[in-house]
Amino acid sequence: MRERIKLFFAEHKKMIYIGLGILFAVAPLIVGRTVNKSNYVIDIMVRILFYVIFATSLNTINGYSGQFNIGHAGFMLIGSYTGAILATKLGMGGAWYWAVIPIAGIFTAIVGLLVSLPTLKLKGIYLAIVTLGFSEIVRIVALNWTAVTNGALGVKNIPKLWLFGLKKTSSPMVMYYIAFFFVILCLYCTYKVINSRIGRAWMSIREDATASMSLGVEARKYKAINFMYGAFWAGIGGALMAVYYRFISSDMFVTDEGFNVLAMVIVGGQGTLIGPILGAIIVNAITEVFRFASEYRLVVYGLLIIVMMWIRPQGLAGASNSILAGKGIRKKKKASKTGRGEVLS
Amino acid sequence: MYIVQQLINGICQGSIYALMAIGYAMIYGIVGLVTFTYGEIIMMGSFSAFYYFIVFGDNLVISLIFGFFAAGLVGVFVHKICYQRFLNAPRHISLICTIGMSMFLKNLAIIVFGSTMKGLPIFFEGKTLVLFERTTEGFRQQLSLTYLQLMVIITVVVLSLALSLFLNQTRVGMRLRAVSQDRKAAALVGVNVKNTTLLGNSIGCGLGGVAGILLGLYYNSVIPTMGGMAGMKAFSSVVIGGLSNITGAALGGVSIGIIENLGIAFIPNGSGYRDVFAFLFLIIALLIKPEGLFVRKGRI
Repeated sequence: MRERIKLFFAEHKKMIYIGLGILFAVAPLIVGRTVNKSNYVIDIMVRILFYVIFATSLNTINGYSGQFNIGHAGFMLIGSYTGAILATKLGMGGAWYWAVIPIAGIFTAIVGLLVSLPTLKLKGIYLAIVTLGFSEIVRIVALNWTAVTNGALGVKNIPKLWLFGLKKTSSPMVMYYIAFFFVILCLYCTYKVINSRIGRAWMSIREDATASMSLGVEARKYKAINFMYGAFWAGIGGALMAVYYRFISSDMFVTDEGFNVLAMVIVGGQGTLIGPILGAIIVNAITEVFRFASEYRLVVYGLLIIVMMWIRPQGLAGASNSILAGKGIRKKKKASKTGRGEVLS
Repeated sequence: MYIVQQLINGICQGSIYALMAIGYAMIYGIVGLVTFTYGEIIMMGSFSAFYYFIVFGDNLVISLIFGFFAAGLVGVFVHKICYQRFLNAPRHISLICTIGMSMFLKNLAIIVFGSTMKGLPIFFEGKTLVLFERTTEGFRQQLSLTYLQLMVIITVVVLSLALSLFLNQTRVGMRLRAVSQDRKAAALVGVNVKNTTLLGNSIGCGLGGVAGILLGLYYNSVIPTMGGMAGMKAFSSVVIGGLSNITGAALGGVSIGIIENLGIAFIPNGSGYRDVFAFLFLIIALLIKPEGLFVRKGRI
């Protein structure tokens, strides 16, 4: 039975993706017709879409190239502050904001390159602590650099987005489709990149860095590209978030927010395209379900991560034969026990 | 004069970081895994002292011992859930598990202890020891060291020496060092690796708990969210000193404390940027010597 389900998914992959896309596209219309207080529900759905972008961007760094970035909140902060400051201080709101969104992405990508420069030499835990330090540095600077970022008060009154003269562009319904457009763009780009030479290089670095370098993959270059790509989409997501909430402050991007996105990637499954989407939906749904007991929400959340690591470390959508599933070491042990596994494989 | 005073403050604060870093390096050395729960263990230590003071009254030495064992117990709990199962799995799995555990403990602490800041009793009646005094042009300048700062430094030095004696002179310490050097070889010569790992982890956590109490006394307050930054500082100190190198970790902690306080002294309006100095120092240190600033060549 399990095999048949797997086979079904493998055969009709494209149809399933298109079906999911259509489901997402009509979901707010259905919710708007059927549910009371529909704006509230659609608002949550918009948030899920933002987190899909963030989780996908983090997934390209953590899942596909196997680097360990735990300071993703820093990139999100830079993206949204770039958008917010350009829109309020330089008057680039409204129609100009469509140009601001890619600018925020590119600027964040440049910062991503700068962060990756010292970390190219470093691996694993050193990289993790540098990204964490970066995220804290950026947050504290945003909190204290009052002249530019307005300090602890945050940036207020970010102008609405212009969309063909529509008036209610910051209503959840309209924003849902704008965010949906960017999610589709992000997923499509990521899909294309993952299946190109660049994506293959990332995955080969993840599975075995030495072997991939001996086959001519320039690990440093591809790691830098990887960081830039992930940061780019984090920046775009941040800029979108700024224009939707129309208010941002530095305490929206504490390190726990970075862990939050990390948890989504892990719960969904690192190194898969569908994983971050699943993770964003599940984690946000849990957040909403436990809203009545808001204090216990994060306790349950912590437990969820622990339980996930105990029973399914590769995440819901992760493949069980990936190195992320923790099977690599055990396999090697078995091979050396029989004494000829390594020679044969 | 002001700079020298900041240097003294820096050394004092750095010695708290050093104690945290020693505990962290101990855990990393014995268990071999990186943890993000350490900040929460520090927080648990300081809260255990807070409740000790309420229930049993103000006795500093016993409260430190109490904090040591309380944090050690939390360490056992963390070990059972986050490390034991994943000792042979890829490292990132236990790492993520500790992130989940840190969220769990922190938010449980907010529920149980309350999210507000709580004060600790003031010891030594806030007395200070004047080291040096000078009057120039009517201004009185002085270098001073509060009794609390003196107590902090003495506690850290005594604990470090005791740990060093314990690791180098006793049989249990020898077992701990053997496990940290090579688990398999230690098992071959008859060391109970499982229990020794548990013990080492608990000792590391206990030191973290004591450091948490000192931190709480130093700032005169405890709050459930204090762990995050403290844990990160400890982690940074260990990385600067070279992972699992206990002496290096202590030096790293002291240098972070000094750099923070000097940064505030030199840069106007710098007090908001306190933590930035620490992390910038970490990144620069990693750029110059990724294996750790205080590691001798050829010995890792």
